[in-house]
Amino acid sequence: MHLLVLGTSHHTASVDFRERVDFSRRGVPQALGALIAQVEVSEVVVLSTCNRSEIYVACEDPSRTHHSLVKFLSDFHGVPRDLLISHLYELTDIDAARHLFRVAAGLDSLVVGEPQILGQVKDAYSLASDQHHTAAVLNQLFHHSFAVGKRVRSETGLSDGAMSVSYASVLLARKIFGNLKDLSVLLIGAGEMAELTATHLRSQQVHRISVASRTDSHAEALVERIGGVKIPWTGLQAELVSADIIVTATGSASPLLTYSQIAEVIRARRNKPLFIIDIAVPRDVETEIGQIEQVFLYNIDDLRLVVSENITKRRAEVERAEIMVSEAVEKFMTWLGSRGAIPTVVALRQRFETIRRAELERLSLKLSPLSPTTRKQVDEITRLLVEKLLLAPTEQLKAISNPEAAEIHSDVMNRLFRLTEETPDRDTEDVVKDPESPTSNSKNSVIS
Amino acid sequence: MNKIPLVLYVAASLVYVLHFIKCSSTAGRIATLTLITAILAHTFVLGMQTMKMGQIPFVSTTDAVSAFVWLLAMSYLYTEMTTDERAMGVLIVPLLAVLKIIPAFGEPALTKPPVLNSAWFTLHVSSLLFAYASFALACVIGITYVLLFRELKEKRLGFFYARLPPLHILDIMNGRAVTVGWIFLTIGVTIGGIWLGQVQTKSLDPRIQAMSLSDPKIFMVIICWFVYSFELYARKTIGWNGRKGAWLSAVGFAIVLLNLLPIGYFLTKSHNF
Repeated sequence: MHLLVLGTSHHTASVDFRERVDFSRRGVPQALGALIAQVEVSEVVVLSTCNRSEIYVACEDPSRTHHSLVKFLSDFHGVPRDLLISHLYELTDIDAARHLFRVAAGLDSLVVGEPQILGQVKDAYSLASDQHHTAAVLNQLFHHSFAVGKRVRSETGLSDGAMSVSYASVLLARKIFGNLKDLSVLLIGAGEMAELTATHLRSQQVHRISVASRTDSHAEALVERIGGVKIPWTGLQAELVSADIIVTATGSASPLLTYSQIAEVIRARRNKPLFIIDIAVPRDVETEIGQIEQVFLYNIDDLRLVVSENITKRRAEVERAEIMVSEAVEKFMTWLGSRGAIPTVVALRQRFETIRRAELERLSLKLSPLSPTTRKQVDEITRLLVEKLLLAPTEQLKAISNPEAAEIHSDVMNRLFRLTEETPDRDTEDVVKDPESPTSNSKNSVIS
Repeated sequence: MNKIPLVLYVAASLVYVLHFIKCSSTAGRIATLTLITAILAHTFVLGMQTMKMGQIPFVSTTDAVSAFVWLLAMSYLYTEMTTDERAMGVLIVPLLAVLKIIPAFGEPALTKPPVLNSAWFTLHVSSLLFAYASFALACVIGITYVLLFRELKEKRLGFFYARLPPLHILDIMNGRAVTVGWIFLTIGVTIGGIWLGQVQTKSLDPRIQAMSLSDPKIFMVIICWFVYSFELYARKTIGWNGRKGAWLSAVGFAIVLLNLLPIGYFLTKSHNF
C-alpha cells in the first residue's frame, strides 16, 4: 500500500488559481463521492482551506492513481490538464507523510505556526471518515498528524508572538489591559498603518474607536471602512482623556503630543494606564512622555524590535517543530513498513487454525464420550496453544519496518508453512485485520 | 508530624518553579496536585492537633504560623482554581515552604491558658490570620505587577511578559486582596479590643495586663492597619493604583511578617502564650 498526496497551495499557486480548484465551492462531500466513483483508490481524504486544496489517498499503484487524480481534478474543476499540472505538487509515501505532518503542525502555513490549520485537518479527516472513505493507512496517518500538531502547539512556542507591527500592538495592549472590550481607542491620522492597527484592535471588539485627522475627508473615509466615530481636529484634547489606547500616525513634522499635555491627561484619568502607539516617522509623540508613570509608549522602532525578536524566536521553534515532525514520520513509516508482513501473519494464523480444526475433527470420535463442557475446554486449550505458538513469530514479523526485509521474511514463511495458496486478499485484510487501526475491531488476539 | 506537610510544600515549590520556567501544562497540573496533597496532609495534622487540644491550634506563635500557612495555601489554591492562573505559585508556594519550617521544627502548645477559653479569642486569631493570608497574596501579586511593569516600560519583553497575566488584572487582584485583608484585619483588631476589655479587669495574667498600645505586637498591627487603610484610600482618591499600590502592599506584608515572627517570638510581652 502506498501513500499519495496531490495538491496545490500558496507555495505553488496564486489566489486566482487556488480559487478555481477550491473544493469547498461545490462541497467537499460531493468531491469525495465523485473521487471514489471515478478514481480507483481504497482510502481518500480531501483537505480544502483558503490556502490549499489537497487530496490524500492510499493506493496500490501511485503512478496510475496520479494520472487518474489529475484527470479527475481537471474534470471536476473544469481546469485544463496542462495548466493544472503546472501548479500541482505530488508526494508519495515518506514525503507525503512528512508533508501532512508539517501541514498539521502549521509549518507549511502562510503564517507559520497559525493554529487554525490543525482544526481544518481534523475536519477534513472527519468528513472522509464519517463517509467510510478512510481505513487503516489514512486513519493511522491522520491520527499521527493530529498528535504531532498537538505536540508542536503545546511544546514549542511556534504560535507565540506577533509577526507584524500592528498585531504586536494588539498583543501589547492585551498584556497591559487584559480584555480590550471596555476600552476606547483614538486614532490620530488616517493612514494605512493606522488603519491596519485599528482593524486588529477592532477584531478585539474594543468599546469605541474615534478617528481624528487634519484632513476631514481622510477621517471620514477611514470611519466608513472600519466603523467608529469621527472627531474634529479641534476636539482632540478632550478626546485624549477618555482614550485608553492612542494610535498616532500623522505626517506631522513636529510632535503632536507633548509631555505637559499627556501629564495633564494622566492626572485627569486618575493614573489609569494609557497605551500610546506612535507609528509615525518622524515621531508624533515626545519621547519624554514614556517616563510618565502609567504611560506605555511604543514607537515604530520599538514595535519592529518586538517583531524581529519574535521572528528570531520562531526560527528556533521551527527547528524544534521539524524534529518533532521527523520523529512522527519515522514512527508512522515503521508502522507502514510493518504492514508488509501482515498478509503473511494472517495467512499463518489461518494455516494453524485450519490444522487445529482438522485435528479436532479427526479426533471427534475419540472425544465424543466427553461431556460438552470438557469438549469446549479441549477446543479452548488447542486454540490457546496455537495462539501462544504464533505470538512470537507475529511480533517478530510486525516489527520488520523495512519493506524488502518484510518480503524476504514473508517468502520464507510461505515456503516453511506452504502459505501461498491460503494468503487472503490483501485489500480485505487491510481493513478487517489491521490490529493498530483506530477504527478496526479485530477479534484476532494473536495479531493484537 | 508537621514535617510531612513541609516535605510536600518543598516538593510543590520545586514543581511550581519548574512549571514557571518550562511553561509546561503537565508540570502545572503536577504542581497543583502536589500542593493539594500538601494541604491535605497539613489539614490532617491540624485536625489531629485540634482533637488533641480540643480546640483549633493557634495559641502559640508557632501554631499561629502553621495555621497561617494553611490559610494562605487554601487562599492561593482558591485563586489559582478560579483564575486558572498558576504564575503566582512560584512565589507563594516557596513562601509556604519557608514558613512551614517553623512549625515543622518548633514545639506546638500543649496546653491552653484558661483565659483564652473564649469565642472572641478564636474569632480574633482566625480573622487576623485570614487577613495576613490575603496580605501575603496581595504582596506576591504586587511583586509580579512590578516585574511585568518594568518589562513593559523598558520595552524588554521577556521572561515575565511571556508568563504573567495582564498588568491591569494584576492590579485589580492586588486591590481585591488588600480590601479583603483590610476587612478581616479591622474585624480581628476590633474583636481583640472587645475581648481585652472583658478579660483585662478579671485576669491577673501578666500577658493580659501587658496588652496595650505600648506592646510592640499591638503597636505594629495598628501601624499595619494604617498602611493598608492608606493604600485603599490612596487607590480610590489619589490614583495610587499600579506600582505605588503594589509597593505599599509589599511594605504592608513586610510589617505583617515582622510582627508575626521576630516580634511575635522575641519582643512582645502580651502575645507569647
